[in-house]
Amino acid sequence: MIIALAQISPFLGNVSRNLDLHLEYAEKARRAGVDVLVFPELSLTGYKLRDLVAETARDPRSSREFKKLRDASRGVALVAGFVEEKPSERGLYYNSLVYLHKGSILHLHRKVFLPNSGMFEELRFFARGRDVRAFGTPWGRTGLLICRDFLHLNSHYLLFADGAEISLTASAAPGRGAAGPDGFATSRMWEIMGETVARTTGTVVVYCNRVGIEDGAVFAGGSFVFDPSGRPAARAPYVDSAFVLAEIDPAAVRRARQAMPLKRDDRPEVTLANLERIVRRDENQ
Amino acid sequence: MKINEPFVEKILTAFIKEELGKRGFKKAILGLSGGLDSSVCAVLAARALGPKNVIGLRLPYGKGKGGDFEDAAEMARVSKIITRTIDIAPMVDAYFKKHPTRERLLKGNKMARERMSVLYDWSAREKALILGTSNKTELLIGYGTIHGDMACAINPMGDLYKTQVRALAAHLGIPERIRTKAPTAGLWPGQTDEKEIGLSYDELDAILELLVDDRQTPDEAVARGWAKAKVARIINLVRCSEFKRQMPPIAKISARTIGHDFLYPCQWDR
Repeated sequence: MIIALAQISPFLGNVSRNLDLHLEYAEKARRAGVDVLVFPELSLTGYKLRDLVAETARDPRSSREFKKLRDASRGVALVAGFVEEKPSERGLYYNSLVYLHKGSILHLHRKVFLPNSGMFEELRFFARGRDVRAFGTPWGRTGLLICRDFLHLNSHYLLFADGAEISLTASAAPGRGAAGPDGFATSRMWEIMGETVARTTGTVVVYCNRVGIEDGAVFAGGSFVFDPSGRPAARAPYVDSAFVLAEIDPAAVRRARQAMPLKRDDRPEVTLANLERIVRRDENQ
Repeated sequence: MKINEPFVEKILTAFIKEELGKRGFKKAILGLSGGLDSSVCAVLAARALGPKNVIGLRLPYGKGKGGDFEDAAEMARVSKIITRTIDIAPMVDAYFKKHPTRERLLKGNKMARERMSVLYDWSAREKALILGTSNKTELLIGYGTIHGDMACAINPMGDLYKTQVRALAAHLGIPERIRTKAPTAGLWPGQTDEKEIGLSYDELDAILELLVDDRQTPDEAVARGWAKAKVARIINLVRCSEFKRQMPPIAKISARTIGHDFLYPCQWDR
């Protein structure tokens, strides 16, 4: 399968302009024979929205923009980020990621771990998602994560336990630390996590970060794909926008899990029993 | 304290270009003092926007003369930006003739604000956005005139300590004389930053980095060998100048108030 990463700089607060950008990349990907095209977090809105969340929010089942994106997903599967407002929960806004394929929504992930310290203030504007789950796709069972979700070890474990063979993360990670030889210091953190997860779960790990600058925050780029044995399959430049492709052998997950049977030997019931004990203990103290 | 200079240059030129573009500007304007910070900022702006889109104003008090004034001319020449000289003495003198003072700090601050007043006027005349040149050291200890040299539309330099600006200057090919002369706020003749603050920039930056970037407590900074009095003095400077780094607080009365719960990004695409 061919996975493409659109390392773009979305237009802050302008959904229709971002839609055009998405359609342009979708067409480019379709012509390149791409199977799945991944965009960054909040790719349809830009990141630092603050009170713009309300006016940029969409319901993917009814919005005009999503009709066009769903149409484009007939040529290539699309993973795009947006602000979601569900008809059943009006006035609540989720930082969401949608997987579109052949004109329909295969899966929708709502960001579970919202960063809210230092330069981040997502809890001020967004509601928290609750689900981390894998779902079926023509290319293998897949899971979606959004930015900070990726830095919580339990997100990866849940997808692994739920049978994911492909993990797709959309990100809007600003860079910090400019002393190193290449890119921001924080980019290393994402790369190390990506490689580690690929190796220890035998999963294809796809990470698409954004670029550009919003009110002084510099998004770091450096998107990547690791194959299930932890080898880099694609790498985008730091800071600059890019469109990169990764070719993944469909048999790679099987081979990696034969060589290193960590999935076979996993014991989710042990994890569950211990987590229950830990959670209970914490509540009683 | 180390920075990757080519990477920082890339980020800051992208910042200037992108922030200007989003605000609908192609040109930038800044005051050229002949000092390190404005020289670095001029070169970054010239590389980001093209030198013909950058205007450097030389704003001497009186007839321009002396090393700094010549260095400002040299920087305009080296960076190929457009330059213009405006003497602020007539405006400043007219004011102090009516309201005399012997306090040189009052005079110096008035001059800094007069320069910024001229810059905002030329910003509107030239449709050029004002670039701030305050570095992280100055901003943290509040060593600047509020609404004077601290005013600007965007500030590419504000997350670089003085010693980092110096490293970046060498990478950008700023003439050695400008890089090595004693930094001065230029509030009165013979003033130097380090004499007035009572600490060298090397000391200031090292202690600030420990306290701010590395989140060390004052006691931890002292345990690393820094004099307790110096650490205490820096903390006091930082605390006393917080007002210079913030928008003025607004008394909240209504259901939705600017700065409290009316919160928008500075500029978005429309």
